[in-house]
Amino acid sequence: MKGFQWALALVGLVLGIMLAFQFRVTREINKTEPVQRAQRMSAEVSQLKKERDYLQASVSELRATLDQLPAGPRDTELKEELEMARILAGVTELSGPGVEVTLNDSNITLKPGENPNLYVLHDEDVLRVLNEIRAAGAEAISINGQRLLASTEIRCTGPTIVLNKNKRLAPPYVITAIGNPDTLEGSIKMKGGVAETLQFWGIQVGVKKIPQVTVPPYSGGISFDYAKAAG
Amino acid sequence: MGILGLAVGVVIGLKVPIILPQAYAQYLSVAALAALDSVLGGIRAAVEDHFDNTIFISGFFSNALLAAGLAFIGERLGMDLYLAAVVAFGVRIFQNLAILRRHLLKK
Repeated sequence: MKGFQWALALVGLVLGIMLAFQFRVTREINKTEPVQRAQRMSAEVSQLKKERDYLQASVSELRATLDQLPAGPRDTELKEELEMARILAGVTELSGPGVEVTLNDSNITLKPGENPNLYVLHDEDVLRVLNEIRAAGAEAISINGQRLLASTEIRCTGPTIVLNKNKRLAPPYVITAIGNPDTLEGSIKMKGGVAETLQFWGIQVGVKKIPQVTVPPYSGGISFDYAKAAG
Repeated sequence: MGILGLAVGVVIGLKVPIILPQAYAQYLSVAALAALDSVLGGIRAAVEDHFDNTIFISGFFSNALLAAGLAFIGERLGMDLYLAAVVAFGVRIFQNLAILRRHLLKK
């Protein structure tokens, strides 16, 4: 009978441990998990709040610095110089009076046996128009929204042209130029000029004087790998 | 004696600083159910006067381990095998309780 007693005690012990463990684990799952989660999230929130306050402080600090900056006369001069340089580099949007020149392929129906190349707008034609506009004193030029820089090339790539290294444009080309509208218009439309030559082949050239045109900035990067300022 | 053991076990279980990882909670719950069934079966056997110590002890542990193992395998195989253990032991617990009740009422 003694063995039986011991067995009962052992079984009771094991069962008790099991039930107690189970009880604790269940309580742990029910209570601690959401609490931990909530604590973690509230910690996160306060951390982010701190971060936000820090950023806010730095924003107002930087604003204050910015407000103080243009105060000195030397700074104003530098700012003007910088603005000038940016305009020259073509990285600012410019607006002013100017013209809009529209170029499109010929609308003449080909006679059989004729070379279609003669009636298509070529990169050279675009170049000639641009050259005229520049000669007439255009201060800022863009084609189809692409700003022309001092280094901008215009090359033939089949039916399209490429400029600014990788910007591919297709006709119709809309050239926007800022300058004296009358001079610019005259440079295109003058007798024996580029428009007359192109129109001979049926290529459509339209010039429109506009009191206020906007030339977008150059959006790519400008880098000099070889050229350095001399002296 | 059995009640004393149970009380000591509960106290130990509540005071032990380690806690079972929650991943094993399901196995433990099934094992506890099996153990409970074994204990009730043992009490019933004792009331019916054919209690065997060896059968009782071995049944207690093997049932608990089997139930836990079943739950474990079921989880690995994507089957809710622990449900089988829960249903089987649950039914047996109620049966044992009913028989016990009848024996107690007859006395």
